[in-house]
Amino acid sequence: MNRTGNKAIITNELTRRTRPTPADGRPRGSRKVAVGLTAGVAAAALTTALVRRRVGRLRFTRGLAAVQLVLRGGVRYASNAPRLFAAAGEHRQQLRNDLALETAEDVAVTLGAMKGVLVKLGQMASYMDDGLAPAARRTLSRLQDSIPPMSPELAAQVVREELGRPPEEVFAQWDPEPIAAASIGQVHRAITHDGHAVAVKVQYPGIAETMAADLDNVALLRRMLKITAPHQDVDALVAELRERVLEELDYRREADNQELLADYYDGHPTIHVPRVIAGLSTRRVVTSELSDGARFAELATWSQEERNLAGETIYRFVFRSLYEVHAFNGDPHPGNYLFHGGGRVTFLDFGLVKHFTDEDLRPLIDMVRTLCVDDKPEEFRASLEEAGFLAPGAPLTTDAIVDHLAVFYELVREPKTMTVTSDYASAVVRRFFAVGQPVTEYASIPRSYVILQRINLGLFALLGDLHATANWRMIAEEIWPFIQGPPSTPMGEAEVRWRERRRLAAERPA
Amino acid sequence: MSAITSFGDDRYAAASGLVERAAAAQVSGIPEHPADDGFFGPASVTWRINADLSGAVAGLRSLLMQALHPLAMAGVDQHSDWRRDPVGRLAATTAYVTIVTYGERAAAERASARVRKIHEHVRGTDTVTGQQYAAGDPALLLWVHAALVDSTLAVSELFGNPVSPADRDQYVAEMAVAAELVGVPPGQVPRTAQALRDYLAGVRPELRCTPAASESMAYLLNPPGLDDDIAEIWRDVAAGAVGALPDWAREMYGYDTPPLTDARRTEIRQALGVLDAVYLGEPGVLEARQRITLRMRAAQHA
Repeated sequence: MNRTGNKAIITNELTRRTRPTPADGRPRGSRKVAVGLTAGVAAAALTTALVRRRVGRLRFTRGLAAVQLVLRGGVRYASNAPRLFAAAGEHRQQLRNDLALETAEDVAVTLGAMKGVLVKLGQMASYMDDGLAPAARRTLSRLQDSIPPMSPELAAQVVREELGRPPEEVFAQWDPEPIAAASIGQVHRAITHDGHAVAVKVQYPGIAETMAADLDNVALLRRMLKITAPHQDVDALVAELRERVLEELDYRREADNQELLADYYDGHPTIHVPRVIAGLSTRRVVTSELSDGARFAELATWSQEERNLAGETIYRFVFRSLYEVHAFNGDPHPGNYLFHGGGRVTFLDFGLVKHFTDEDLRPLIDMVRTLCVDDKPEEFRASLEEAGFLAPGAPLTTDAIVDHLAVFYELVREPKTMTVTSDYASAVVRRFFAVGQPVTEYASIPRSYVILQRINLGLFALLGDLHATANWRMIAEEIWPFIQGPPSTPMGEAEVRWRERRRLAAERPA
Repeated sequence: MSAITSFGDDRYAAASGLVERAAAAQVSGIPEHPADDGFFGPASVTWRINADLSGAVAGLRSLLMQALHPLAMAGVDQHSDWRRDPVGRLAATTAYVTIVTYGERAAAERASARVRKIHEHVRGTDTVTGQQYAAGDPALLLWVHAALVDSTLAVSELFGNPVSPADRDQYVAEMAVAAELVGVPPGQVPRTAQALRDYLAGVRPELRCTPAASESMAYLLNPPGLDDDIAEIWRDVAAGAVGALPDWAREMYGYDTPPLTDARRTEIRQALGVLDAVYLGEPGVLEARQRITLRMRAAQHA
């Protein structure tokens, strides 16, 4: 069965079901339909289903301004230091301590019965959440707020179970107060016996088992997804969600991904990935080098030049990781960066890394090459069809297809200096969710590329927020494997030297 | 579940707003700066059991039990306005139970005085049995009380956090004061789990499923007008409540339900978790819960 053709029919049906188009040209109800289109969105769909009744008609009439607000709101939320159990008022610290989870039973009561799964899905949705209205966002954030940290004793118990000794012995110094919340755990500072400052992420005890069992309730997940995305291939969505969340429950996978990227970027002039301390990392504890730096919100107060450099580094990181490591960090959450000035950026949190095969990447490379470099629209169309993004033989002119999809390539079609604005980021989001347009009826996103849409919906939103300016095409040419162009910026020149050192190091006998 | 079918009777109002209003009722019953610990207090088993997320199932199971007493049912059927405002009626019950459980003594006394006053006017003749009834009759009040206590225990056994046998006895004993507050003479109220079972067995010959009970409960098990997503979850709440009934009660209603397997119980508990998450999103619910938890923690560590 041809995936694309199938999806095209589905989209067509949904489009016909929508109500008359209001004056703004956006079909009412389209949001709801569009919400089912990607898996990141599946989380949004699920949570939207939960809160739909309070959102009501409002959701369908929100225009672009509201979308922008949601995206920007997401950035604002995330740019604060990762929150620890947010209680109101000055007694916050005390309240945290008083309500801290003291036993595995407390964890089960607080995060069992589907709630941990909802928190996780809510987090996945919180960034790429076009469909999330303020009320939905509030419900999710309330749910997250309802989860206190572990008591120092409980966290220490997990460390003891995982690393064999209490944290005060495993480490030269151990801070019993967590410095940050992770979705299913919390982060403590410590100093190793050889004097390194480290961040130790500790998972809530029993949570992996509980959430794995909850994810087995496919019927409940299906039912909730079905309400919001009645014609979607719900089984595929559920499968994708389960896979992503189950992966995150085992910290060893995250440690492997982080180490892979830390290795690759070792010595990079501006990209820094903290090293994982393998001997102090297990399924429920991951220890990595502690980093400090400015948060995203602070970066926004820096000079435009600094912001451009940070944008350039993030851009290089995303596409070098994709084309050279065949890995993509699907969590472009602004809380996952630390900024050090001069474009130097530390990248954190590798819980959601997707790996690609050569076969996965080839159509993506063909698409960008045929559209932006060779300027051969018919070949571009053939690549889209081959990858499953477009139904073969759709009754559309190739011009219409190019017009529709070009917005995703706008930064790299011409070698000119461009500023990414929030308007551009919003336009990308809007185009992505533009159900009802002729092209959309024949377009779909094959499951293996779903996570890549976070490039469009996450990276562009970030760059737009930075108002980042660069000649993106020239930077891209440096990275595109079919061009490997010369350095176009000082950072590019520094990268050439880094790559040369890498090459030499690889040639040197061990 | 053949008996749980769509309810098309237009004498009944839609059940929209059920979650919102129940949440608001509960929040309003949990004081911010209590003058005292009320009739139970933070160290009580009652506080702990009543905070379990299976509360919705326990509430529905109580109503299913209570409705099997023809005179209790007749009182509701002939006097209450619950058909016009079923959600308001359920919210009022939620508020009452919350105030008596977590409220100050004075608030609990005021609330129960109001209930006693309303009961004064609820009297009449049951058309099924031909018997006279009065809502203030201690025998009826005791039945309603016992059905609630029994349901909470039965449901927490199936879907909630474990309750030890000693705590079950303790719960029955603690809850006796709730019956006394609405006018049951203290000597008549069961104070152990065994006494409660004996009492229920003794009442059983009086029970039957009248047309009013059948009709009202069909409504509650599948209320029209719920939003789709809540309706989905409510189906699990209803299945849990029916599954938690004693076999004889299920037979009286004629509900044909599949047995509650372990897997089904887990599913229902997961659905309850989702419902609880939605509930947490309602204004004030998280803070109200934190107030309760903090007081329970303080009592536990004292």
